[in-house]
Amino acid sequence: MSDSAITVHNLYRFFGPLQAVNGISFEIPHGSVCGFVGANGAGKTTAMRILASLDYPTMGHAEICGINVVHHPAEVRRLIGWMPDHFGNYDNMTVLEYLDFYARALGYKGAERRQRIDEVMDFTDLVPLADRFSNKLSKGMTQRLCLGRSLLHDPQVLIMDEPAAGLDPKARVELKHLIRVLAKEGKTIFISSHILSELGEMCDSLLFINNGRIVHHGDAESLKRSSDALGGVLYDVQLDGDPQALSDWTVLQPNIEFLESRKTGGRIRIDTEDPSKAADILSRMIRDNLRVIDFHREQRNLEDAFIDILANLEKDQNFTHAPPPIPGQPATPPPHAEVPVTVPDSTLP
Amino acid sequence: MHLSDFPDRLSPMLVKELRQGLRTKSFIAVFLTLQALLGIILLTASAAATSDHAGSSISNIIFIFFSIAVLIIQPLRGIGALSSEVKGNTIDMMVLTRLSAWRIVTGKWSAIVSQSALILVTIIPYLILRYFFGGMNLLGEIVLLGMIFFTSATITAVTVGLSASGSIILRSVLPIVGLPIGAYALLMLLTFGGGIEDLVEFCALERKESWIGLSMFLAASAYLGFFFLSTGTSLIATYAENHSTLRRLIAFVTAIAAAILCSISTITDYEAIPFVFALILAPVFAVSLTEFAPLVSPVYLKFMKLGPLGRLAGLFFFPGWPSGVFFCALITIVAVIPFAINVPSYYDDDITIASLACLGTLLFPAALVNLLRMKGPQRVSNYILFGLASCILAMVLAGIGDSMSSRDFLWLFVWLPPVILAMQSSSGFSDDMLITAAVVIDAALFALLLILAQHNFRASINGIKDSLSEDNDSKEPEPTTP
Repeated sequence: MSDSAITVHNLYRFFGPLQAVNGISFEIPHGSVCGFVGANGAGKTTAMRILASLDYPTMGHAEICGINVVHHPAEVRRLIGWMPDHFGNYDNMTVLEYLDFYARALGYKGAERRQRIDEVMDFTDLVPLADRFSNKLSKGMTQRLCLGRSLLHDPQVLIMDEPAAGLDPKARVELKHLIRVLAKEGKTIFISSHILSELGEMCDSLLFINNGRIVHHGDAESLKRSSDALGGVLYDVQLDGDPQALSDWTVLQPNIEFLESRKTGGRIRIDTEDPSKAADILSRMIRDNLRVIDFHREQRNLEDAFIDILANLEKDQNFTHAPPPIPGQPATPPPHAEVPVTVPDSTLP
Repeated sequence: MHLSDFPDRLSPMLVKELRQGLRTKSFIAVFLTLQALLGIILLTASAAATSDHAGSSISNIIFIFFSIAVLIIQPLRGIGALSSEVKGNTIDMMVLTRLSAWRIVTGKWSAIVSQSALILVTIIPYLILRYFFGGMNLLGEIVLLGMIFFTSATITAVTVGLSASGSIILRSVLPIVGLPIGAYALLMLLTFGGGIEDLVEFCALERKESWIGLSMFLAASAYLGFFFLSTGTSLIATYAENHSTLRRLIAFVTAIAAAILCSISTITDYEAIPFVFALILAPVFAVSLTEFAPLVSPVYLKFMKLGPLGRLAGLFFFPGWPSGVFFCALITIVAVIPFAINVPSYYDDDITIASLACLGTLLFPAALVNLLRMKGPQRVSNYILFGLASCILAMVLAGIGDSMSSRDFLWLFVWLPPVILAMQSSSGFSDDMLITAAVVIDAALFALLLILAQHNFRASINGIKDSLSEDNDSKEPEPTTP
């Protein structure tokens, strides 16, 4: 068996001139949970579809448990469970019939099929819904059904594309619980999401993708550390009066960046960790007639860290004078724009 | 809480589709309406049993309603068969099971066909009752029912296969164009001319022509059905699954068999020869000249294992439209053989012009699709739509020509191959001129397609070679998509 559950090496996928996946490489060890993070159109779904043997790379290779997804798609499909980001359910088909169809399609027969369906329905708590039509389920129930379907053949690797999208908080908690249980059972889970805080809680490592390139691979703490290294401390400032005054004031201040407005104030970044500087800034605010009622340091979260990394990357790329792409041909990425992939020791096999 | 409605040995797709299909309102409505109508008609006919024509009238009504149900309504249900799976993103989940794309498509098709069979089975008691009214050609009517059912299966294969393209326009055009044409053809066939009596007599298999005709009909239906199901399979399968090579091989063998049969004069009706080849070539051209299938290493390597022979075969049998153009050129040469051999015996300008115009009509939409660099699985539906549009345009131009004193202006549109057919039907054009025009246009279209294909074929071969060498040596990529 291969050392890694998922291995991706120098993977490219072009759609005409669009470079959806642009030379990504990473490894995910057996039994770990890896979060895949990126904005819409960053290349997450394309990369996941290639791993699931549903799409074909323009170049490079990808392996599941050491098996090449392009050369041996049938073997790979026995090892993976796939949850797409969106899918329709069938008309005129109950939950039980839905699972029965997929169990038959996966080659299960007779008692074995019934046993697999029972196990999956118990695990995903679908027993009370067995006779409900599958297209009449709520989003949360539908996701549980989809998870159940993807677990029917007891796959070693689960690839989940935005499974929590559109779920209400209760359904999200339930899904998170199920993923934790699966992780404890030793399954390798590769999961994409926009909600970084949730991924940070349940993932051993996070893989950040932007414009088809991996911009960070590490655990949540290493991500925060990388972001901290970029400098700056975040403060929440609440005012008595017009919150717009805060953003107007920061425009005139060097070394202070206004990040976002809030109901009665806003969030700012000060480019130093020195507490005395923060005290100076607070004094200046009061001196300039800002009626500050609250001023406190905020813990940097994963979203901040991700945005910092992206901003820094953008800054780097602005200094890069890449040659213009030839019409009809994919642009060649400048070698120095590649961000090295960092794998934390904890995720190494 | 276990299901035991269908045994394990049935295909999973068939089980799924039957579970869903037998609950759909359209099937239940057709089934119950047909039963109610036939029941009422038989009761009415029983009351008027003294009439001499009661038996044949019942036969006519049974055949009309059965034909409407299985030749129009049931096949139309296939139009959304695969597109709903593609649109709902459920096709990916099915492909990831042990179901091959072929089993998915045939499962969809067989579910609709088995529902049509259910309708057929429910018709039989009415036919037995009709027997008591006398004057029934039992074998003829049963064979005719079977033929209608077989035709239904073929039309269903066409709609199911094309439904994989996901083109909303095509799915709208098919019922809009197909329904009136189908209804009109049925009406003409069953009420005018010889009507059902002639068909029943033909199906009674008492003449040698009946056997030959029915055999050819079954062969053509099987060929068309397979071709469209295979096309649907290619459209939903991953690129590593190669279905086009088998499809082209079958088309090639069929064309050779047809060429041999036509060359040794088995077919005495020479005017049927262009029709036979049009039937064989039309689906081949539509699919092969538009096939969107990037060449991938597993497929390429299978050919390369055969050495120089594999490389030569790849030129014609690799998936994708570039090799499809070479293949169509090859199969056209095969189709020309019987004409060349039998020239002295049945040389006829009309046949030549019609054949050349039909060839151009098949090439013209492919040239458009490839010149416009259309991508994706909708290429085949665009081909069909362009083809239909060019035929409609030619009919409109012919109509304008009829209303004018001279049809000479049609020369301005001679680049549109169906216009040549319209010009042929008019007496004002010389056959030699039309043949020359058709040859020039066909040659130009073929040359254009061959140039485009040669460029793209080379690019995809280079791309695949780069991709294979990259496995060991990392370097900058080139796109492999033709």
